[in-house]
Amino acid sequence: MNRSFLTNPYVLVAPGFFLAAFIILWPLLQLGQISLSEVNRFGQLKGFAGLENYVAVFTDPQFLSALARTGIWTFGIVAGTIILSVPVALVLNEDFYGRGLARIIVMLPWAVSLTMTAIVWRWALNGESGMLNSALRGLGLIDQNVQWLAQAATAFPVQIVIGILVSIPFTVTIFLGGLSSIPDDLYEAAKLEGASNWQMFSRITLPLLGPFLNIAVVMNTINVFNSFPIIWATTQGGPANSTDILVTYLYKLGFNFGKLGEASALSLMMFALLLLFTIIYVRLAMRGERA
Amino acid sequence: MKPGRRMSPKARRTILCWLVLSPLVVAVLFPFAVMFITAIKPPTEVLRPTWWPSEVRLENFVTMWKATNFGTALMNSIYVAVLSTLISLIVSIPAAYAMSRLRFTGRGYFQQFLLVSQMLSPIVLVIGLFRLVVALKLLDNVNSVVAVYAAFNIAFSVWMLQSYFSTIPRDLEEAAWMEGASSWQALVRVFLPLALPAMVVTAIFSFINAWNEFVIALTMLRRQESYTLPIQVFSLVAGRYTVEWHHVMAAAFVATIPVAVVFAWLQRYLVRGLALGAVK
Repeated sequence: MNRSFLTNPYVLVAPGFFLAAFIILWPLLQLGQISLSEVNRFGQLKGFAGLENYVAVFTDPQFLSALARTGIWTFGIVAGTIILSVPVALVLNEDFYGRGLARIIVMLPWAVSLTMTAIVWRWALNGESGMLNSALRGLGLIDQNVQWLAQAATAFPVQIVIGILVSIPFTVTIFLGGLSSIPDDLYEAAKLEGASNWQMFSRITLPLLGPFLNIAVVMNTINVFNSFPIIWATTQGGPANSTDILVTYLYKLGFNFGKLGEASALSLMMFALLLLFTIIYVRLAMRGERA
Repeated sequence: MKPGRRMSPKARRTILCWLVLSPLVVAVLFPFAVMFITAIKPPTEVLRPTWWPSEVRLENFVTMWKATNFGTALMNSIYVAVLSTLISLIVSIPAAYAMSRLRFTGRGYFQQFLLVSQMLSPIVLVIGLFRLVVALKLLDNVNSVVAVYAAFNIAFSVWMLQSYFSTIPRDLEEAAWMEGASSWQALVRVFLPLALPAMVVTAIFSFINAWNEFVIALTMLRRQESYTLPIQVFSLVAGRYTVEWHHVMAAAFVATIPVAVVFAWLQRYLVRGLALGAVK
């Protein structure tokens, strides 16, 4: 084969690499520099500050509560999503009338921007005029309007539920891919041996779904950890910062409070955490490949 | 099947399956119902939480268009989504070809770089990105958003394209080489036509990602003339004492439904691409 300049792999990869690297690495270097500097609120660097910004973040009680809340947020959504997605994927993998329609309905939340979803929920959850209250009252489940988003005790759980709803499509997608990779003969053989449905599920489906389960957990963890619009468009972290997670706290720190040094330090710590998740993902994906 | 049974196994299974799915179906369709019903309510009834409006007001969509400055935001969204998709495709297609067909030193590093940039959401870099955009004097310019979307889309595009490219048999290009075509000719005449469906699907998903993005647009676009749809709709809600909810819901509906229909229609391709990519 005569390789021309245009099919040289480095030439082919270079444009994509340089564009992505410029937009990603330059900001990363900036963050590193700012996080170690004293910065005024107009973003001018005023000299070396050592680890002051990092210490400031760690001693900020708002950071600590946002960190704890991020843990609950991520765990709650990921666990809820996985638990609900397994049966949904199993059902959608069955052959029944209207399956195409069912798949489209389940996938719908994925197609809508999180911002729009969150805005619609903000309206649906409105205390006086919201349709959720009127629907629940109509069903006799509540007898007084609930101010869903005006208090932390209901706002945060509701946001987690919205997070679960929008994460299900992606997770079900991964599981459906996993289910279609399980050969039918296994089930036929098991049936011949007289296995029950539950046995087939626990001995065949679940173990073979394992790698996909791992990938779904890690990918969802990353997505949910990074998720900004649901909270921002429903409560903006309020009331009184009681629904702030790290990403919304970071945004406020940088753009509302003008504490750029601390915000940069926080960004880098979050970057490190994401890198850790990514390494876990690579490990799991490679194990899946070898299996 | 035993004779005499009234219902076929598939019919029974159908009832059971829909029964299991029903809570989720209700939860998914609820916000769409809220959006649609609010959008067609007469303005005087919006604040009354009744389900059915006394009359259907389709004019809401017409008044919304002007009241929410929808046209400008729509044009901005189209501009940003189309241009960022084109840029990311143009640089991703050759890279994905190299990744799926050629062995070269550094391939593994490039793959890792893509993976990390895929995991990294723009929110984590938002302060650095903001400074980059300020340094380039592109603040409040939709092109800044185009560049950021394009760059963050590369990993996804290369991933999707690569997983499809790997399913195109190599023999076809090799046959073309045998017949004396250069590798470049084989690429353009044989490979690219076969890869067209993959490129179209990838382009559509990139478009939808850009169409729906929030944080970057919120940060970089400060004046209403440069707002994209999500920011425009958000600005009608955030920090206002009176919100014209029928306009907001009508705008959300128009901004959302066309894209959602295309997505629902194409999701099975994404299922395939992800399934191929997820274990690669």
